[in-house]
Amino acid sequence: MDPDAVIDTLCEADARASARIERIPGLRWPGGARIAVNFTLDFDAMLLRRLLNEPPQQLAKGEFGGRVGIWRLIELFDRHGVTGTIFTVGRICELYPRALRVAAASGHEIADHMWEHHVPKDPALERDHLLKTGAALEATTGQRPVGTRSSHSHALLREMGFLYASQDTADHRPYWLADADGANVLLNLPFHYAIDDAMFYSFAWLGSPNAAQRITDPERVMEMWWDAFLQQYRDGEGGGYLNVCMHPFVSGRALRVGMLDRLIARMKALPGVWFPSCAAVARHVHAQHPPRRLAWA
Amino acid sequence: MPWKQGYTISDEVAVRDEAIAWPDGARCCVLVTVDLNLASGPEGIGARDLEGSVAQFALGDGLEGLLRAFRRRGVRATFAVPAAIAAIRPALVRAIMAEGHEIAAHGIRGEDVSALPREAEQARIRRAAAMLAEVTGERPRGWYGLPRQSDPFAGGALSAHTIELLLDEGFLWYGNGQADDAPHWWVADAAARRAMLTLPYHYHFDDQWFCMFPAKGTGLENPDFLHRNWRAELAAQYARGRCFHMVVHPQHSGFAHRLAMLDAFLASWEGYPGLWNPTGSDCAAHWEAAMPRERHLGLEPSIWRDHPGSLS
Repeated sequence: MDPDAVIDTLCEADARASARIERIPGLRWPGGARIAVNFTLDFDAMLLRRLLNEPPQQLAKGEFGGRVGIWRLIELFDRHGVTGTIFTVGRICELYPRALRVAAASGHEIADHMWEHHVPKDPALERDHLLKTGAALEATTGQRPVGTRSSHSHALLREMGFLYASQDTADHRPYWLADADGANVLLNLPFHYAIDDAMFYSFAWLGSPNAAQRITDPERVMEMWWDAFLQQYRDGEGGGYLNVCMHPFVSGRALRVGMLDRLIARMKALPGVWFPSCAAVARHVHAQHPPRRLAWA
Repeated sequence: MPWKQGYTISDEVAVRDEAIAWPDGARCCVLVTVDLNLASGPEGIGARDLEGSVAQFALGDGLEGLLRAFRRRGVRATFAVPAAIAAIRPALVRAIMAEGHEIAAHGIRGEDVSALPREAEQARIRRAAAMLAEVTGERPRGWYGLPRQSDPFAGGALSAHTIELLLDEGFLWYGNGQADDAPHWWVADAAARRAMLTLPYHYHFDDQWFCMFPAKGTGLENPDFLHRNWRAELAAQYARGRCFHMVVHPQHSGFAHRLAMLDAFLASWEGYPGLWNPTGSDCAAHWEAAMPRERHLGLEPSIWRDHPGSLS
């Protein structure tokens, strides 16, 4: 291929991608907080492993999250005054309704994480799944989700009143993200795989083969996550942000609840650390830092 | 409950920490399993596995090292023994028993049974139990389906029939389940409330994923990760009053620096007053009596439904 044509193609790709993103300079948090920390749980228990047709012990490994892990993490958040966000697979409502009701009653946010952990390609079925999840979460917890961690189409999410998504990291801080046509803007609350418990603890994560396993111990992860927090706390110019992505079947293990207990206590010892739900972050940004170049309406 | 065949093996909510009682006011249960599986693949132990230096180390120097550490620290372990190992080295298995450790079954050759037809699996379970009884003088009461280093998943393999067949054959407990970190009930038939007591397993406390993993020579050597996992989990489970279960292999934890690490970890138990260190069968018998399924297995009717456009 002609090198000039390659450069043109690259310029177009970059222009398309950057046009979809609007960063938020001068982001500030309520009450002069220096950083917002979102503790988020991807609550799928065994449903992703079931979707991938994994064997019985893999399902049991996920089941731990629903029977044991979710309860411990709710209790941990409550004890520390942390408002968590639970991205919940819709069918969890039929498996672990009691834990969801307790989480909602404690003031934690219940958000969307797909109906059975995938977004159907067929638009009619995609709509059906998103509607089913919203209805199930609302019937179980009284909360209608305003946020999602999924690749559901922005058009559909906007139509159903969603305020934010939490996917990928085009910026450290929350940013506005339009769809490919520059329309259907949502706030994106970035999460990064380096701040995802499954990366460090879950064997065979995302189909990784044995030679690619990186399972480790909580002390190493504690230091990484603490350093990530501190970088945003110190260098975030008053608008620091950290989204900690966890799974109840992974972080609900006793040794990791212990590590999170120490991590949160260490964060709380500093002034100006805010532990809101993702929805609270989204409402604040919507009200105080609306998009300028991209249009919400 | 949310009981759904093919999704869950037990009930909606695990037994809470405060509901667990160990014998004589003990604070926490600590279980040690020694896995004598030497299989390099799903078909189980083959002649080539035994001809290698790793197996000869495991059944010799490595095993002696583990037994020495257990003796020095007063630790009781349960050995997950493929019946073939008992047939090949009967004196070794009897010597392990003589030190107060329990012998439980781990297949005939430590093989993966997940694809076997029901009848074939039943025959193997019967044969394994008989082979072990011939050497030990008693039927094994516990059965393990522990993973091998080459397995694609780190939880161990079993078929849809395994638990039911083990119940049929009179086994009292299954050695490695991942749906809890305390003993729990693996439901074989929800309507009949037929369930197998299952000991907790988690691969973060099993040495094989941290010692020359996944292969001798090219694998990763991270025993320090393992040691920190053991220490952190024991501290956390002790605080909860629950259960800690570690799995070691003589070819891994029986070697040099790892053996010193194991010994140091077992020595650290002295800092935890009120640890109860039973064999698998003693733990299962206590749980069965103190935490009976009639009271602690909550199998309410399922609210799981079939939805068009969904998996069921």
